[in-house]
Amino acid sequence: MKTESKLTLGGVEFESRLLMGTGKFASSETMTRAIEAAGAQLVTVALRRFNPGQPSDDLLGPLRNLKITLAPNTSGARNADEAVRAAMLCRELSGSRFVKVEIHPNPHHLMPDPIETYAASKTLVKEGFIVLPYMPADPVLAKRLEDVGCAAVMPLGSAIGTGHGLATAEMLRLIIEGSSVPVIVDAGLRAPSEAAAAMEMGCGAVLVNSAIAAARDPVAMAAAFAAAVKAGYAARGAGLMSRSAEAVATSPLTSFLT
Amino acid sequence: MNITVNGSQHVHQGNGSLAELLKELNARPDLVAIVVNGRMVLKSERVSVRLRDGDQVEILTFIGGG
Amino acid sequence: MKRTGNIGTIPDWLNPEPWLDVVRTADEASVRRALDAASLHEEEFAALVSPAAADLLEALAQRALERTRTHFGRTIAFYVPLYLSNYCSGGCIYCGFASDRRHARRRLEPADMLREFEAIKAMGFEEILLLTGERTPRADYAYVRDAVAEAARHFASVTVEAFPMTADEYRGLADAGCVGVTLYQETYDPVQYSRLHRWGPKRDYANRLEAPARVLGARVRFAGLGALLGISEPFFDILALYRHARYLQRRFWQAGLTISFPRVCPQEGGFVPPYPVSNRQLAQFVFAFRIAMPDVPLTLSTRESETFRDGIAGVGISKMSIASRTTVGGYETRNESPDGQFHVNDDRNVAAFCAALKAKGLEPVFKNWDKLFR
Repeated sequence: MKTESKLTLGGVEFESRLLMGTGKFASSETMTRAIEAAGAQLVTVALRRFNPGQPSDDLLGPLRNLKITLAPNTSGARNADEAVRAAMLCRELSGSRFVKVEIHPNPHHLMPDPIETYAASKTLVKEGFIVLPYMPADPVLAKRLEDVGCAAVMPLGSAIGTGHGLATAEMLRLIIEGSSVPVIVDAGLRAPSEAAAAMEMGCGAVLVNSAIAAARDPVAMAAAFAAAVKAGYAARGAGLMSRSAEAVATSPLTSFLT
Repeated sequence: MNITVNGSQHVHQGNGSLAELLKELNARPDLVAIVVNGRMVLKSERVSVRLRDGDQVEILTFIGGG
Repeated sequence: MKRTGNIGTIPDWLNPEPWLDVVRTADEASVRRALDAASLHEEEFAALVSPAAADLLEALAQRALERTRTHFGRTIAFYVPLYLSNYCSGGCIYCGFASDRRHARRRLEPADMLREFEAIKAMGFEEILLLTGERTPRADYAYVRDAVAEAARHFASVTVEAFPMTADEYRGLADAGCVGVTLYQETYDPVQYSRLHRWGPKRDYANRLEAPARVLGARVRFAGLGALLGISEPFFDILALYRHARYLQRRFWQAGLTISFPRVCPQEGGFVPPYPVSNRQLAQFVFAFRIAMPDVPLTLSTRESETFRDGIAGVGISKMSIASRTTVGGYETRNESPDGQFHVNDDRNVAAFCAALKAKGLEPVFKNWDKLFR
């Protein structure tokens, strides 16, 4: 199967197929080194109030120095209206056209709201954003989001932070089968092997946050994920060998064709 | 004047310009976004805004997130 | 190099040329990879239809059986074709109803239709396919639409195989109760297409090609595709048919497709197929489609022999016509007329065919069939 070498989102090309989140890192410095080790070119950030007591606790400065693309997320929004307002603020702050629509009203399992996500995505596409919607692994919802102009779809592998890997594998296959935009698995990945598996399955990219930030050595883990994503992508292009040997025949099905 | 910044009371010593407010808060202008009374103020509009007593201001920046 | 006939160029989304090499050079390893793949695309499909895969036909059949069981269980869906009219403006060189053939022409009037519907209903059928030739004043859009409306009062499922229509006309059919429209491109090769379609509106290759998209855009539930095997180089056409199906699936993700495998056979006028497709090759094409598109209904008509139909039912094929007449009408009085569109090779009645399927462990699906079996 022919695979293009660059990841294209909303007309913007990326060499790296490993997207990173910037949350949960011990320090801004570790985060920066991890992003460099990962070779990530698209990272997510979240909005928060500026804290006058800690003015140097700044993320934007170091990230701008890395010359990567920001995809701010709307995390914290509980419905489409809030997500749209958050996206406007994010665009003003970052100057980036990318936005990750992330709306999870339940603070325990953090599962994305399909209805609000659809509504917000539809509006934000019209407002000129390059929309990356974080969504439940639902094949029909994926087509709906593609229909309204999302640049990719981001189905979860498992619930945020749980590290349960590709629990939604069966649904991911259906999404990949039917999608004309890149499918980016987001959330739940724990090990680089899972990232490789996602790429072998046909994902266009993966987004990893907790698995890197919470590793004992985040910088080394970031490099490992980068290698895994490259390996999985290359393996898919190389054509995995078949699993089965001979089919088991009870009586031949083709005897009527003599 | 007395205004609210990020939900807390704040006494603004300057002339009500956003530039002066940001200086008070030690915020770099290019690293924050500003919302005044629920309306986002674009960077290009900042120079034309004058704060008044009782205004509610949100100063926003980015934090790490997934 | 893209093929261009004097009536059209093959569009990029359809052109199978890049994969003809895969067909030629496939080996056992690539066939086995295709058999094993979780989702298949042109590369895998080309391997499955290749001569290399012909040596592994039993393995393809096994996989096709497994895929059919997963998506269709052990059922076969039945339908019956009713030719409303054999008026035709077309000059298709391979067809018994071409306008220069000497068949007597007639059409069913509403009263005739009613009697045919009742006869067909009495046989137990719930799905009917209404057919006409190319557009003529005697069998035009209004005629077809009115027939659909009347048929929809009698049958659970009404489908149409007629002439390319406009989007508005397809919407009209949908409103009248049509759930599916079948339209075979016959051949996807523009050069051969131009040679075989000597005159009439059917010479418009592009209009015919784009019609299934109009069908689905008009919210008709199913579009039926097919290439007439034997009239043109089969690998080209079978690959193009696959690409056509994939293209429509991508554009209309909520819509359904059905794929048929009409194979040209001798008819009045003496047309000899220049690229005859053998039973083994036809079976291989069916298996390849089943494996590559596991949930798409695959249809086989009574053009094929009893042996072939019995053998392939449930092994890829999920839908069949039965006890068919290819003359105009013909169900009310089952006269032995030789003037059908094609010769019916399997002329078993419903009970006989159902018995054959039951013996294979297959359950025919159409209401009231058990009434016939008593």
